[in-house]
Parts: sequence; structure tokens; C-alpha cells
Amino acid sequence: MNIIVTVKQVADPNIPPAHIQLDPDGKRIISPFGVPPVMNGYDANALEEAIRLKEAHGGKITVLGLGDDTSRESLKMAVAMGADTAILINDPDLVNGDSATIGRALAAAIKKIGLPDLVLCGRQSSDTDGGQVLHWIAESLDLPTVVPVTKIEAVDGNQLTVHRLIEDGYQRIKVELPALLGVSSEINEARHPSVRGTMAAGRAMISGWKASDIGLAAQTPKVELRELQIQLRTTKAELIEGASGSEQGAKLADKLHEMGLI
Amino acid sequence: MAGVLVFGDTVGGTLAPASLEMAAAGAALAQALNEPLVGALIGDGLDAAAAEFAGGFATLHLLEGKELRPYTARSAIAAARAAIDACKPSVVLFPHTLETREWVPRLAAMLDTGLVMDCTGLNAEGGDLVVSKPVYGGGVMAQYVVRGAPRLVTVRTGVFEARAGAASGAVNKIAVAASAAGRVTLIDEHKAQAAGGVRLKDAKVIVSGGRGLGGPDNWHYIEEAAAAIGGSVGCSRPVADSGWVSSAHQVGLSGTSVKPDLYIAVGISGAVQHLAGISNSSTVVAINLDGDADMFTRANYGVVGDYKDVLPGFVARAKEIRG
Repeated sequence: MNIIVTVKQVADPNIPPAHIQLDPDGKRIISPFGVPPVMNGYDANALEEAIRLKEAHGGKITVLGLGDDTSRESLKMAVAMGADTAILINDPDLVNGDSATIGRALAAAIKKIGLPDLVLCGRQSSDTDGGQVLHWIAESLDLPTVVPVTKIEAVDGNQLTVHRLIEDGYQRIKVELPALLGVSSEINEARHPSVRGTMAAGRAMISGWKASDIGLAAQTPKVELRELQIQLRTTKAELIEGASGSEQGAKLADKLHEMGLI
Repeated sequence: MAGVLVFGDTVGGTLAPASLEMAAAGAALAQALNEPLVGALIGDGLDAAAAEFAGGFATLHLLEGKELRPYTARSAIAAARAAIDACKPSVVLFPHTLETREWVPRLAAMLDTGLVMDCTGLNAEGGDLVVSKPVYGGGVMAQYVVRGAPRLVTVRTGVFEARAGAASGAVNKIAVAASAAGRVTLIDEHKAQAAGGVRLKDAKVIVSGGRGLGGPDNWHYIEEAAAAIGGSVGCSRPVADSGWVSSAHQVGLSGTSVKPDLYIAVGISGAVQHLAGISNSSTVVAINLDGDADMFTRANYGVVGDYKDVLPGFVARAKEIRG
């Protein structure tokens, strides 16, 4: 099974809120010194699932990223985990595009690579939580989609049976290949790279493609970022004291009862 | 292209509370744009829900068809397109749910138009639609200008005050025909145990546990505390990611945004993405061994202590109080 996994590099989501800073034009955040950006968590889950499918059914995994040159780090990480090939679209005109622009660029790159059996994407990225790019890819390539996928239950010829998360459980869904799945974190726990994988990543050549390489025409943005603003939090909690934890617990219950909350 | 079209949501044939929040958000926007407010519901047998969906709409479109429940993205898109064709709106609002976040972006791509999802603010500036949403886990607010025809927005639930009791004009039923078999087929649905019997996002009381509990073997502390005060059970993202409990319980930006009267966070450090998901809770209590945890910056009341001591004391007193 040939699989393409899209990988986005994002600011580390574990940055403590007080350490987030904006760049002077107010359109991007600056990662604090010593906290390098990371592969989007859902994308790591998508890659892990691709590696498991390859282990079970054979095939080839291509990871595809779009970002500035620092994004090569996440693609190297992907190769270290088990991807066969990595390609980066690093055209400055595309890097700050909206979801439609980025989705169509990724779709054009997928066409250039050759349509695989399966495109796996993270359900959303942890920086803007936009959740749209995968759908613009799918519409552009006319692929059926299921999002958010929490399990690939069975692979049967050109059909997959997958679980889709719903509010109070899950749906079992059959989807014909080729297809695009938006993967959620419940599906697996992404592996750490092996020593052998890390060595392979060190040798890996990562192609850099521009809009002209994938035959992409300029587009008018449909969504335009106007500005970012840091959210401040200052409230201080009233602390419930007590001689023991148990007493604190009882006092808390009394307090909430006084307030009519329990 | 004129008008603000507002989609409501139904659960098991009844109107989801978020629907009237969407109506309120839509009404304010329609007034600012000086365009009519139009409503729509998608489902199978919508009369009861339509009667509840009194959002003061010029017209309420009911998209009905056997195929529309249980939900599939393909039929939801077909229904929404029928509603958009019927009223040609300039803006369409949807409640942000696990369903809309799957099908609305595909609809945007099909219509080749602008969409921003999970918005917490909507403003008309001249003819421009400016929306805001929390990004970077909620530590940062982003403002976007949305363009296209129609401009699409999914709106976070629990942010706008519901609009109720505003009489609507005409009801227009549109039958949505079953479409040809697609490449995605629903086999069946499996319902997990509901989180405390109520949908988390509608729960009035929530007791939520985080990584500070130490492991799944301690999860019963959370369940017992929730049971003692008639609350629902929630969890933080690391807990869901580690598989201690189903992600249906996950509170936060990537899980469920909640707005209970009382939110008790136990062993939750307070990552921004979690705090953003509880930003509309009335009273927040933090219980944590680490008094410097970010959770205390959002909490109204805090207990610095070991939950293994605090919760049993809390449960015992709560049971006395509640008889």
C-alpha cells in the first residue's frame, strides 16, 4: 500500500502560556529560546499508522511537508521514524497561505508524486487548530474522506473499515481506496525513532519544491490573518486551607454547598 | 447574496442547546450587516425541534430526509447545499461539533469559499466579516477576515448567550433525496457509555482528572467524586491520549468545550488548550499538589494538596450534604 503522510512543523504545544511571544508584525509567535518546533502531534499519529500499515501490508511511505527550511527537521524526524521519502514545499509565497492555498499546493504535490492508495493527515494542527487543509487536499484530488479516525479496523482489498469518533462513541465506516483519512490521537502512540532510523535520516535527501515545480497558479486568499493577540490571565484562586487533605476536601464541599453549586 | 443563515443542531430528534446560541450570534451579525436572519435544521422528522428553534428567523428551512440520520458527511453536505441554494446567504453559521468539523470544510472546498472554524467572536466591519478564535492552545487570540460567497463560520458552543422565544416567520420544508451510493458507507454506530449520562458540553457540573492522578488505576477517585455531586466526568488531553479514559471525556480545545456552573479540575496542570476549553465555566475549582500549576490562574477556588486525601474528604461531606 502506497501512503502519503502530510507533516506540519508547529511551535511546541507544551510552551507555558506565559512564555509565548509575538513577532513585531503580530502575525506569528516566536518560540522561546531552547524550545524547538516539533512535528504536529496528530501528524505523528498519522505517520505511525502509515508505518504500521506498511509493516502489515508492504508499500512505500512518502512524507510531504509545507513550510520554511526549518521544517526539514520534522521531515528528518519522519524518516527516522520510518518514512521512505520526504519532500518539502518551501516556497515563501505558499508558506503563509490560507488553508485553501496550502491544501491545493499539497494536492498538486501529491499529483506530481503520483496518487497513492491512501493519504493520511492529522485531523488538525495544534498551532491554529484550523482543521481544513486536509479537506482542501481531498476536494482537489476528489478523494473520499473520514475525519476524525480513531482506528483502522480492517484492510480488505481496496476498502478500509475505520472508526470515526462521535460525541458518544464511534461510527464504523467503510471507505473505498484511494482515500484520505484525518487521524486523531486515539489511534496509536507514535514511536520514537530508532538509532538505525536516525542514521538513515542523517543521510536522507529532502527535495525542496516551489509553486512552479507543482504547476500552481497564484490564488487570492479566502481567509486573511489580521492579527494575533496574547491572552493574559491574572485571576488568583481563593485557597481552601485545612489541617489535612481530608479537611480541605470537606471544607471545599461546604463552600460549594453554600454557593448552591452542590 | 444577502442574509445570515444559521444552522441549528439536533440530538436524537430534539434541538441541541447550542442551536439557540447560534441564533443569537446570527441575529447580532444580521443586524450589523442589515441583512435578514434565516434558520435551518438538518434531520429526519424535524417538527419538534423546529418548534424549539425559535430564533426570530425570517424563514426556517427544514432539510428532511431518511438518509440524514444517522449523520454522514455526504448527506449533510447535500442538505446544506439545498438550504444555501434556497436562500443565497452572504454568511452561514454552524455550531462547531464533531460533525460540522468534518463536513463544513469539505463544503467550503466544494463551494471554493472562505471558512474559519471554532470562532468565539464575530464582527461586521463595513461589509467585511471579521472573526476571532483562540489559537496556539488558547494562549493567543487570532483575528481573521473571511471572504467568499457565502462566507462560512463554525462557532464554538458555550460562548454566545442563547436567544430564545423570538417568533419565526415561514417554515419551508425541503425534502433531501437519498443520493447514489458513495465511496464512504456507514456500517453502524457504537455508543460508548455517556459521560455521566449527559453530553459533556451540556453538563452543569463536571469533575475532571488530569495526568496528576498518576495512572488509570486511580481514575475511580474522579468517578466517585462526580457521582457524589451528580456531575459528569471529564479529562485532560494527556489522559485521553494515554488511553486512561475514552477521548469522549476530553475537555479542551481539541476535545469538548464546556460551560458548566461548576468545574472541578483534579491533577490538571492547566495547559492553555485545556483552559481555553473551560473558559465559559462559572466556578472553577483546582485541586493540585503543585500550588504553582497554571490551573490556579483560572480557578476561583484552589486546594493545594494530595487528591487522594482531598477527594475522599470531599465525597464524604458532599454525601452528607446531599443526603
